[in-house]
Amino acid sequence: MKKMWKKLGLVSLLAGVTLTLAACGSKSADGGNVKITILQGKVESNKQFKAIAKKYEKAHPNVKIEITSIGGGTQYNPVLKTRISSGNAPTIFSLDGPASVKQFKNYTADLTDTKAAKAAIPSTLDTVKSQGKVYGLPFNIEGYGFVYNKAVFEKAGIDPKSLTTYDKLEAAVKTLNEQKEQLGIKGVFALPGKESWILSDHLLNVYLSKEFDGNSQKLYTSKKMKFENNAEMKQMIDLQKEYSVQPVMQMDYAGQVNQNFAQGKVAMIQQGDWIYETVNQIDAKFAQDGIGMIPMPVKEQQGKMPVGTSIYWAVNKRKSTDEQKAAKDFLNWLYTSKEGKKDVVEKLHFVPAYKGYGDVKMPDALTQSVYDYSQKKATFGWVFPGYTGTSWDPDVAQPNLQKYLSGDQDWQKTVSNMKDGWTKQQTK
Amino acid sequence: MKNKSLSFWLFLTPTLVALALVVFIPMLEGLFYSFTDWDGLSFTKVVGFKNYMALLQDKAFGNAFWFTVAFVIVTVILLNVIGLGLALLVTQKFKGNNFLRAIFFMPNMIGGLILGFIWQFIFTQGFSALGSALHMTVFQNWLTNSLTGFWGLVIVTVWQMSGYIMIIYIAYLQNIPSEVIEAAEIDGASAWQRFTRITFPMIAPAFTVCMFLTLSNGFKIYDQNLSLTNGGPYNSTQMLAMDIVNTAYNSSDFALAEAKAMVFFLIVAAISLVQVFYNRKREGDF
Repeated sequence: MKKMWKKLGLVSLLAGVTLTLAACGSKSADGGNVKITILQGKVESNKQFKAIAKKYEKAHPNVKIEITSIGGGTQYNPVLKTRISSGNAPTIFSLDGPASVKQFKNYTADLTDTKAAKAAIPSTLDTVKSQGKVYGLPFNIEGYGFVYNKAVFEKAGIDPKSLTTYDKLEAAVKTLNEQKEQLGIKGVFALPGKESWILSDHLLNVYLSKEFDGNSQKLYTSKKMKFENNAEMKQMIDLQKEYSVQPVMQMDYAGQVNQNFAQGKVAMIQQGDWIYETVNQIDAKFAQDGIGMIPMPVKEQQGKMPVGTSIYWAVNKRKSTDEQKAAKDFLNWLYTSKEGKKDVVEKLHFVPAYKGYGDVKMPDALTQSVYDYSQKKATFGWVFPGYTGTSWDPDVAQPNLQKYLSGDQDWQKTVSNMKDGWTKQQTK
Repeated sequence: MKNKSLSFWLFLTPTLVALALVVFIPMLEGLFYSFTDWDGLSFTKVVGFKNYMALLQDKAFGNAFWFTVAFVIVTVILLNVIGLGLALLVTQKFKGNNFLRAIFFMPNMIGGLILGFIWQFIFTQGFSALGSALHMTVFQNWLTNSLTGFWGLVIVTVWQMSGYIMIIYIAYLQNIPSEVIEAAEIDGASAWQRFTRITFPMIAPAFTVCMFLTLSNGFKIYDQNLSLTNGGPYNSTQMLAMDIVNTAYNSSDFALAEAKAMVFFLIVAAISLVQVFYNRKREGDF
């Protein structure tokens, strides 16, 4: 009897220890072939990236590419940190601003001498430069403003391109609001109060950009922000809030884009060219023919659209030289080879952040408008990557702006909290 | 005797190894990191108690703490009252009481995250439709301020956990010998007296268990918090667990989050131990 228990005990001990050890993975080497893993943060382009990688693998049979995309509610940086800490770091990963360049500086390879870096539009590289070296390659350039419903504006007899000043915009909004019923819309705007980043990143950027010359590095290294035109921002928030589908504080991104805009229930929304895919999935015809984008009217940036890059490719310098070379080759191919360039524009709907694309015809109205404004050089830069990734964004800017939006705090206090919070963080 | 100890330890080892790897070692590592400037990947220097000083001044942590305390007090009372009430109801002899038991327990089988999303839909879309149909403003704008967010969280948690608490009370209620109740009835005790003088004291152990469960569960709530309000608006309905997770992931301040987690552990452990000790004492003398 005792002998049986002893055997059972030994067996369970062995099983337990084996199971525990099996949980630790094992690595295997491959002779001649290279496998690169990509962990990227633009989840909307997941399918397209995988298709492009398959094509690349066919043309380069000794390279295998494995792509994982993170986004839509899951934060990117924690997943990346977990992958790195568990010994499963990707070959190519994503950076979103100077803060992440600093955080991952032990992993970012120097990309200054790559073909892609040399072909990149110089201003797009400001965010990922450190001590004169380039550590990231831009995915694309994007722009945002008011994405509008062409049919609604036509019916109301307003030309969206004429709304170049705030007064003109306000007048148009009032007209649209009065004719709500005839136009078949629930409201003029759809302001998603739950998505605090729409106010703290996109809208705030419009009023901060000039102070920091459109350069996110300047904001990142600054000790204080003057934010002198904050009254204009208040005007814009109030306008959007008053004429939006209510209740504003209950609306999220899906409510704004999927429910309201894509189904034709509002005249315009503050968003960017990246919403094309979402609208396309709900109403492909509407996405193709029925929408356009205009910049938000700002006094010091009249007629200009905020254009910038939100995400960059980085190569892991702790991987083998072969893997790093394969990674750089892939990125170079994607952005500078004939095949790759075609896919960047047509498959990914990316407005190119690189030179050498000739005259581009973008496949949809939103990216086309971003391209037009950047060709005309009627743009100003994104400075908000200088504070996303620092605690000021989620701990100071977002809660204070949300508090103002829900009517629980006045504007003066909101502005002073934000300015003080920035100084406090930057002088720590 | 030697053989007995050997197989005893052999049986215990797999569990001990798993616990050590998943709970004890990470806790000790975390404790160490809370004294450094760890950012999730590496640390450069030991900063002593700087993180602990910082969290004492952290307004978000303070708000989360008091919000959670209020939440715990309300839910402990509601859960135990409703759980006991339901248990008393279904232990009466009437047709369908087993069916009712299953019904009352079902919400507990749905995960906290999914439950939160379902109730979020009910609170926002369902309530506002109800509100506009009945022209009552109390149903509008749920979850858009901290008051309705608080009560929303309470409702979801109570709805989910009542069935579980009910089951525990049922187990203890059924252990009360019916002769004692009958004897009291014959002696002329009213229903209320029977309840307060006999039933109630005899299920005292159930109180220890249920209070412990509801207390520690209340402090650790995260899933429902995330899916129902996500801490909003402006972090006003952010509970302790969510504040710690957000400090780590949104603000990338892992060392501070570790310090907060240590303090959180100490608070929950202290409260739970005090409660169990106090209840055990009360169990002993009636």
